[in-house]
Amino acid sequence: MHKLKPRAHFALFVIFGFLLFLVGNRVDELRVYQGASIAVFVIAISSLILLTGYSGQVSLGHGALMAIGAYSATLARNEFQVPIILTFFIAVLAAAFGGALLGAAAARLSGPYLAGTTLALAIGLPSLANQFSILGGEQGLLFDVGWPPLGLGEDFTQYKWFFWIAALAALISTWLLSNILSSRYGRNWRAGRSNEVAAQICGINTGRSKILAFTISAGIAGLAGALLSMTIGTVSPSAFPLALSFALLTGAVLSGVSTLSGVMIGAVILVAIPEIADVVAHRIGSSENITTNLPGFIISALLILTVLFVPNGPVEQHRARAAKKLAKKAEK
Amino acid sequence: MKALNRRKLISVSAVLAVASLTATAVPANAAEVGVSSSVIKLGMTLPMTGAASLGYNKIPGAAKAYFDYLNANGGVNGRKITLVVKDDRYVPTEAVARTNELILKDKVMALLAPLGTANVKAVASSVNPGRRGVPVLFVNTGFSGFADVKKYPTTFAILPSYIMEAKIMGQYIKENFAGKKIGLLYQDDDFGSDALAGFQTAGVNFAVKVPYAAGSQGAAAAAGWITKFKAAEADVVILFGVSSATSAMLGTAAVLKYAPQWMLGSVGGDATTIKLTGVPAGVLYNAIGFSPVPATTDMNDEYIKLFSDIYAKAVPGSVFDLNVLLGMNTAFMTAQALKAAGQNPTRKSLIAVLKTKGATLANSALTPVGYSANSHVGLTGYWIGKYSPAGDLLPVGGTYVTYTTDSGSGAVVKSTYKRPAMPAKGLPN
Repeated sequence: MHKLKPRAHFALFVIFGFLLFLVGNRVDELRVYQGASIAVFVIAISSLILLTGYSGQVSLGHGALMAIGAYSATLARNEFQVPIILTFFIAVLAAAFGGALLGAAAARLSGPYLAGTTLALAIGLPSLANQFSILGGEQGLLFDVGWPPLGLGEDFTQYKWFFWIAALAALISTWLLSNILSSRYGRNWRAGRSNEVAAQICGINTGRSKILAFTISAGIAGLAGALLSMTIGTVSPSAFPLALSFALLTGAVLSGVSTLSGVMIGAVILVAIPEIADVVAHRIGSSENITTNLPGFIISALLILTVLFVPNGPVEQHRARAAKKLAKKAEK
Repeated sequence: MKALNRRKLISVSAVLAVASLTATAVPANAAEVGVSSSVIKLGMTLPMTGAASLGYNKIPGAAKAYFDYLNANGGVNGRKITLVVKDDRYVPTEAVARTNELILKDKVMALLAPLGTANVKAVASSVNPGRRGVPVLFVNTGFSGFADVKKYPTTFAILPSYIMEAKIMGQYIKENFAGKKIGLLYQDDDFGSDALAGFQTAGVNFAVKVPYAAGSQGAAAAAGWITKFKAAEADVVILFGVSSATSAMLGTAAVLKYAPQWMLGSVGGDATTIKLTGVPAGVLYNAIGFSPVPATTDMNDEYIKLFSDIYAKAVPGSVFDLNVLLGMNTAFMTAQALKAAGQNPTRKSLIAVLKTKGATLANSALTPVGYSANSHVGLTGYWIGKYSPAGDLLPVGGTYVTYTTDSGSGAVVKSTYKRPAMPAKGLPN
């Protein structure tokens, strides 16, 4: 397998980051906010791609793991006045711990049983907040990352600050993740996913490898959760509904679940859909019923079309086609 | 070859990102955002789809019905009012995203009737309409905190707070059920703690208090609650929860033939919403209920008559219920505030006029509004009624007797408030 050299790989991320910085300075506040949301989704979807695409485990409960990250970051901030950057590390650690526990159970389950277990988590866990008053109940807690540093100038908006934090986190986590995926661990996961027995014969401890995948995936999801609550300024159970877990899965499928490279696609689509739906609804001058149901319809349609025509996602499809072309050329 | 592809891919996604981010240009600012020479643009986010949308999704249609009527009759100082509605599915993340769109892209002048405490809190914290100077008129939640002028400088509450409601209920209990055993079902969060604070101020002693966690209410849970109320031999049971808790409780109680004197809080007491969950209206019969606005079936009331006429023409076949009335009342109050805000209303003048004249704006409610220079408290009281066999809340004895109080330690008093007459044709004057 041919690959970019690590240094070139790193340089690409830096260049992309610089590009984002330029874009962030040139667009209006709404786009900056949407950019921050896209960054959050990139992180969340990449955690799911790691788990589902690489290690072959299904999770319908990633919203719950995001909630763990969000609540622990908020509590660390509100109760112990932890510096903002540390709260994100705490979110990662707390969610990873939750993920390790869940992963230990998950390693013994597969298919529909695993889906069911994680689904139960997605439904049950957020409502725990109603049981303990420290978690703020249905109304939730405020999560204030504070104003952007004064050195950035007076015009520097809160949303741009969110965008910087979220985009930087997304770049770092995606870079780390792509490295892990091309390391020994990544190969172990793929081996276990393709054929568990064969992988075991090769000496891979598939159980441990699965738990590790769950732990890392949960940690990344926790980071996404903390960033999500940063962008909305609060954390509450209703911010992590079952629909969020499903949206992430949809994003992962649209991105191409078996490769990390397409992760932007799913994230952009998830954020852009309501706006696209709005434009379409206006064009056709539709009734309220159509306007409110159009986003769901578009997402579902995209999902079905993806599964039908590009089951491995647009990126993988493109690669396969290019490889075929190359092979044909070689034949000639 | 792989390397090339990856590079290509990254550049493609970069181009895509740039393109999607810069797709729309920024329109130039007008004299006041959302106010042109012919149109005033307002925005609303609320659950239009999903489990929490039940009943509430009629509010935008109701508000639009009134605005259409107003526009057909000349609008506000010649300007027509348009209402942009977005679905937040009762999810704070969505509420923030959609509100951002309303303020930054649709450029609305003010936000109308956002719904749900968690959502309003998230929007206040992230979008921060207070700092942007965007008015948030008539929030649809009874959480007393939103009347805090310092924390939410541009937000105006409209529903009476849960504390006020509990205090008025407490007064009624002392006057009518002295010596009886009282039971209370409440939601175990800020909603419930507001209620407990109110009952404590009113000096109510409960024989039994049953908390429930939001989201846990269902028939099975209700059977458990009933066991507790039965064990404590409660004569009167107060249901201070959401509609789904009320309908779970009343539905299960009807099956188990458990029939104490019910008393329903206004949040969970809307008959149409309860009926939508499949519980027959008959189970509401004789329960005691509370409302700040006239009975929706009271055709002798000038507002109800006009509003239900307008609504029937705008949305034929839809029941005129409490949510519709509140939606139209919000639109009606907004229209008057805009008219009072001057020939060329601005966000600033709109907020200023609500502080100075807000308490005297005509509206259908039977209790006074508490707006002043340093208060954004909305309605301040309730009238007390009983549910008819059809599930309609009607005043005890046929006439509205209203009680008013505050969210602090103030006494509950019979209100002497005389509702101002409706302006001619229900148009702002």
